[in-house]
Amino acid sequence: MPEYTLKVRRYQPETREGPYWQEFTVDLDPDLSVLDGLLQVRDSQDGTLVVRCSCKAAICGSCGTKINGQSTLACKTQISEAQDGANRRPGDHGGNPIVVEPMGNMPVVKDLVTDMESTHWEKVRRVTPWLLPEGDPPEREYVVPPESMIDVTQSMACIQCGACVSACLSMEADPEFVGPAALAKAYRFVGDPRDSQTKERLYDLAQDPHGIYDCTHCFSCVDACPKGVAPMDQIMRLRRLASHDHDIDDVNNGRRHELAFTKIIERKGTLDESLLLQESYAQGVVGKLMPTSGAIKGLIGSLPTAIRGIRTGKMRSLGKLIPGVHPKLPGDAQQHVKRVYSHSEEHREELNLYITGEEEVVPEPDEAPDPLGSAVGGGRQHMDKVTEGGSETAGQSEATPVADIEPEPDEEGGR
Amino acid sequence: MSDLKLAYWPGCVSRGFTPELHGSMALVADRLGIELLELDRANCCGAGVIAEHNQELADTLNARTFALAQSTGLAMMNICSTCQGAQSECQQRLDADSAYRAHINDALADEGLEYTKAKDGWTNKNLLWVLVEDYGLDRLKEKVTRPLTELRVGPFYGCYVIRPKHRIGYEEHPDRDLYLESVIETLGGQPVEYDGARKCCGFPVITMNRDTSLRQAGTHIADALDAGADCLVTPCPLCHLNLDMQQPEAAKVTGRDLGLAVLHLPQLVALALGFEPKELGMGKHIASTEWVESRLAGGVPA
Amino acid sequence: MPKHDVLVIGAGLAGQRAALAAAEEGVSVGIVSKVHPVRSHSNAAQGGINAALQEGDSWESHAFDTVKGSDYLGDQDAIEIMCREAPEEILHLEHLGVTFHRNAEGRLGTRAFGGASQARTYYVADITGQAIMHVLYEQLMKFSAQISRYEEYFTSSLVLDDDGRCVGAMLRSVADGSMELFEAKNVILATGGNGQIWQPTTNALICTGDGIAMAYRVGAPLMDMEMIQYHPTTLAKKGFLITEGARGEGAHLLNAQGERFMERYAPNKMELASRDVVSRAEQTEINEGRGFDDGTVALDITVVPRKRIHEALREIVLVGRDFAGVDITREPIRIKPGNHYTMGGVKTDVDGATTIPGLYAAGEVACVSVHGGNRLGANSLLDTLIFGRRAGKHAATRAKQIDVGRPSESKLADEERGIAELVGRNPDGGRRVSVLRRELGETMDRFVAVFRDEAGIQTALERVKSLQEEYPKAHIDDRGTVFNQDVLGAIELGFMLDGAECTCVAALHRTESRGAQYRTDFPERNDDEWLKHIDLTRTDEGPEVSYSPVTVTQWQPTERTY
Repeated sequence: MPEYTLKVRRYQPETREGPYWQEFTVDLDPDLSVLDGLLQVRDSQDGTLVVRCSCKAAICGSCGTKINGQSTLACKTQISEAQDGANRRPGDHGGNPIVVEPMGNMPVVKDLVTDMESTHWEKVRRVTPWLLPEGDPPEREYVVPPESMIDVTQSMACIQCGACVSACLSMEADPEFVGPAALAKAYRFVGDPRDSQTKERLYDLAQDPHGIYDCTHCFSCVDACPKGVAPMDQIMRLRRLASHDHDIDDVNNGRRHELAFTKIIERKGTLDESLLLQESYAQGVVGKLMPTSGAIKGLIGSLPTAIRGIRTGKMRSLGKLIPGVHPKLPGDAQQHVKRVYSHSEEHREELNLYITGEEEVVPEPDEAPDPLGSAVGGGRQHMDKVTEGGSETAGQSEATPVADIEPEPDEEGGR
Repeated sequence: MSDLKLAYWPGCVSRGFTPELHGSMALVADRLGIELLELDRANCCGAGVIAEHNQELADTLNARTFALAQSTGLAMMNICSTCQGAQSECQQRLDADSAYRAHINDALADEGLEYTKAKDGWTNKNLLWVLVEDYGLDRLKEKVTRPLTELRVGPFYGCYVIRPKHRIGYEEHPDRDLYLESVIETLGGQPVEYDGARKCCGFPVITMNRDTSLRQAGTHIADALDAGADCLVTPCPLCHLNLDMQQPEAAKVTGRDLGLAVLHLPQLVALALGFEPKELGMGKHIASTEWVESRLAGGVPA
Repeated sequence: MPKHDVLVIGAGLAGQRAALAAAEEGVSVGIVSKVHPVRSHSNAAQGGINAALQEGDSWESHAFDTVKGSDYLGDQDAIEIMCREAPEEILHLEHLGVTFHRNAEGRLGTRAFGGASQARTYYVADITGQAIMHVLYEQLMKFSAQISRYEEYFTSSLVLDDDGRCVGAMLRSVADGSMELFEAKNVILATGGNGQIWQPTTNALICTGDGIAMAYRVGAPLMDMEMIQYHPTTLAKKGFLITEGARGEGAHLLNAQGERFMERYAPNKMELASRDVVSRAEQTEINEGRGFDDGTVALDITVVPRKRIHEALREIVLVGRDFAGVDITREPIRIKPGNHYTMGGVKTDVDGATTIPGLYAAGEVACVSVHGGNRLGANSLLDTLIFGRRAGKHAATRAKQIDVGRPSESKLADEERGIAELVGRNPDGGRRVSVLRRELGETMDRFVAVFRDEAGIQTALERVKSLQEEYPKAHIDDRGTVFNQDVLGAIELGFMLDGAECTCVAALHRTESRGAQYRTDFPERNDDEWLKHIDLTRTDEGPEVSYSPVTVTQWQPTERTY
C-alpha cells in the first residue's frame, strides 16, 4: 500500500506552548480518506492526536478540518486526491505532504478540535432556529405545497459541520458576521410556509449590520460545504426575499445598491459607477432630499477616493465624473435590454439546480457521445474549430427531456 | 497555427473606472496577434448583484450577451473575473434545463437573438484562461522581449474566477487556480506565495460594510508586502478597484502603511512584451507603480 | 453536584425525544451526550419512518408486518402500542417542523419500504433521521431553560443507592477531563447500539454500546443479545450504508451473472423482503460463487428514473460518488451485507422501565421488544420516538412521586482512581487499546455474523474472554485531561467486550434459526422450544441465562415467507 505524509497542525495545551507542525507517515489504501489516515496515526502511532469523528460517512459533520488549505470534511476527502492537491501547491512540485489543520475562524481547543460553541453554535442560535408557526397546529398535518418542502431540503441538508464558517472570508475580516451556517439555517425557516415570522426574521437579519448584507459574495462557503447547501446562495435568496418580496430596507445600503445597479443597467446597459455610488447611498429623489446619516457618511467617505481618481486621471471624462451622464448602449440595443427587463420582471423564475438537477445530454445517433455529458462550465474546448466553422455546423442536439416521474407509491397502492 | 479570433466582452468597469485595462488589452491583443471583435451592443453581466435581485433577469441579460457572441460565430473572451463568474453561473443554469433556456430565449426573440447550448463548442473564457489554454504559454514566451526578471509578482485571482469549483470547469482544467503563477513565470517573473492570493478583495460589500470590505483588501495587500512582493497582478478590474483605488483607505482601516502596485493582467503581459508603463496607463493607478518601473529598469536592489 | 429529576444519557432521537417529553411534564431535565447531539448516529438513518397514517391503512396491518418481520419474537403488546401511536407521533413531528415529503395535494407522502404490505414510510429525501433529529435539537435549543444540555460529557457508569435504585451517573467532561457525579431521580439510557463490536459496520465510531454495558454492570438484564441485524446493502470496503429506500424506489439486486436472484428466495416481495431474508440471500449467492471477486453482489439503481433519484436518493448519489467512485445513475454499485443494528439490548417494559427502579432505556439500547429477531426498515426511527416519549413521560411522572437520597461521593473517588490507573499504565505491560479493538471487530465479523455455528461462536467467545483478561493491561498514549480521546476509547473497549460476550453467549445458547440469528447447525425455526427471549444477567462468572416469554396478542406464529 502506498505511503502518505500528513503534516498536521498540532496544539497540545498541556504539554507544549503554542501550535506546531508534526509530520506523520501512514500506509493507506488510496481509496480511503484523510480521516482514515489520521485515525491510523491515532491508533498506531500517537494516541494524543485528537480529531472529532464519528460516522466516517459525511453525515454526522464531526470531522470538519482544513486540508491543503481547503475547509472540508476529513472523512470525505480521499487521500489520493488530497495528495494530488498537495502536489499542485505552487512553488514546489511533487511529493508534498498533505497539510491538515483545524478549522479556521474558531478558537482551537487541541490539535484539530475547535471550539464550535462560541462561534458556530452561538451564531446559529442567534437566528431563532426553531419553527414559529401561527396559533394551534391543525388536526392533521399542515398542508403545504410539495415544492416548498423540497426547496428547504437544501438548507435542511446542513449537517452543522462548520466548514462554511471555517472558510468564510467575511468572518475572517469581521468576526461578528452572522455567517453562512446560521444564515442558511435562517433560510430553512424563511422558506418554510408553516413559519409565521418570515418578515420578522428577514427584518431582523437585514437590520443587523453583520447580517445578510455583510456577506462578501466570495463563494468560499459554497466550495466548502460537503452537502450542497450552498450557504451563499441561501443568503442571496434571503436578500431577494427581504428586498423584493417584503420591501425591507437594510442598514447596510444593500437593497439600495442592488436596486440602483439593476436600474442603471436598464437605463444604460453598462455600469455607471459614479451613479451607482450615489444611488447606493441616496436613492432617488427621496433619498437625496432626506438622506440618512449613513448615506451622508458613505458619500462623504467616498470623496477622498473620488478625488484621487480624478487626480490620477482615472475619472476625467464627463461620463465618469457626473452621475447619470454615462452613455447608453448604441443603436436600439438599449431598447432591447429594456424589453429583457420587462420579460424577466414579469416572471422572476428561480431555477435551482440543486432541486432540478441537470438534464442528460443525448447525442445525435451519428455523433460520438459528449465526453463531458452534463458537465458544466464553459463547455467544450475547440478553439481552432471555431475559426473555421460557422454556425452551420451542427452542435449538440437539444437535451432529451427526462422520463416522467413514477407515480407516488401511495397512489399505486403499494409495490 | 492560425491566429486567435474571439468575440470580446470588455465588461463595464474596464471602460469606466479602470480605462487603463481596456487600453492595455487592446495593445496586448494586437501584439500577440489575437483578433478581438468587441461586442459593443452587449450589456453588463450583472456582477452577481442583479442575480441577487432577480435571477431570471441576470440569466437573460447574459444569455443576450452570449447570443450576440454566438452570432459572430466566435467563442467569447472576457477580461474580468467577476464577469467570468457571474456569466458562468448563468450559463450553467441555461445549459442545465432546456425548458428554462427556451423561456429565456423568448425574451431575446424580438432582437433576433438566441442562445444555443454548446453551439460548435462555444465557450466564454477569461483572458487568463485564454492565454494558458488557447494561446499557449510556449507561444506567449516566444513573444516576450523584456522578461520580468527579478520582478516578484503576487497573484490575486478574484473569487469569481476560481470558485465554486464545480462551476468553473476544474474537471476539464484542474489547474485554473494556478494559472496566474504559470503566466508570471512564463513572462520571466517570480510568483510570490502569500495568504490572500485566492481570497476576496472585498469589493462586493464596499458600499454595504466598508470595514469588512477594506479590511480584506488591506490585509491581503499587507500579506503580499510581507511576502516580498513588488506588485500584485489581477485579472479582475473590480478587484483592482478595491486593491488599488481604495488602497489608501484600506491602509487606514488596517492601520498599516501599504503602497503596493496593483497591475491588471494585460498590463503585466504588455510590460513583458516590451511596452512602456506610460503606454499602459499605469500613471492612472492610485497606488504608485514607480517601484515596479524601477525594478524593471534594474535599478533598485532587492 | 448537578441534580435533575430526569437525566437522559444519549442525545440521538430517543434521548432528545425523552428529554422533550419529560420537560413537558414540568420536571427538571438534563440531557448528556459524549458528542454534540447532532453528531448522534440517528442522523445516519436515511430511508424513512413508518406509520399507518394513510386512508385505507391500519395500525393492525403495520403491527402484523412488524410481528412477521420479527420472526414472531417481537412482543405483540409493545408492537401494538408502537404502531397505534405512530400516526400521532408523525403528526407531532410535522407540527414541530420536520420537512416531510409531500404528495401532490400537499399532504404527507409515502414511499415503499422492505417488509411492508403497504407503502407507509414517511420521509425527507434520504435524510429522514438527520432531518427529524435536527428539528428535535431545534426544540432543545428552544427549551434550553427547561432542559440543561451537557454536550461532550462522557458517561462512564451508573450509580445505584443501597436499595438498588438508580440515583445518578458518573460523568466525565470531555473538554477538561474532570469527573463529576450527577444526581438524578431517574436515568434514561438512550445510548444507541453497539455495532462497533463488528468490523466493518455501518455504525459510527461512537456506537460502542455504552448504555448496554453500563446497565448490565449494575444488574439490569439484557435481552435478545444474539439478534444482530446485517443490512443487505452496505458498501464493501468501508461498511457504508446504502439506504433501503433505493430498493423502495425500485432498484434491483443482481449477482455476477446479472441475475435478479431474489426471485429464488422471495418471489413475492423480491428486493423488498425482510432484511434478514435479503442478507442471507446475498450471502448465499456470494458463498456459492455467484458473487463478484471482492465478495459482493450488485445493486442496480440505474432502473430508477433520474429525476426521482435526484429528489429522493441524493444522499446515495453522493455516497456512491465520494466513497465508491461510482455514479449510481449510470452503473450498479457493489454491496454486501454489513453489520447494522442491534435488536437486543437492555430489557424494558412498554414504558421503558428496566427492572432497576429509576433506570429506563429507550431506542436501540433497549429491547422492549418491538423488533424481535429482525427489525423492519423505518421502524427504528419509530421505536426511538415512541419509546423515547413514553420513557420520558413515565420517568417524569415517577420523579414527581418519589424522593431519593444523594449518591455516595465515594463512587466518584473510585472512578477517578480507575482513570488515574488507566492513564498511568506501563506501555510495555500490554498491547494498545486500539489493537484489541480491531481484533475484537475482526473476530466477531468472522464468527458471529450472517451465518453462525457452534464451533465458530465458541471460538469467538474464547477470543472475547481472552481480550477481557488482557484489557486491564492494555495501554493508551494520552495522559492529559484536555480532550483526551484515548481514555474514552479505553472505557468504550470495556463496554464493547461486555456486549460481545453477551452476544456470543446468547447466540451459542439459542440452538435455532430465527430472524437475524441463522445457525447452519440448527437451520430451522423451532417454536416449540424457542418461542421465548433469552435474558442475560451479570454475575462474576459471566452472563447468566434465563428466559422470558414472548407476549402474543393477536397473531399466532406461522411460517414466514416473502
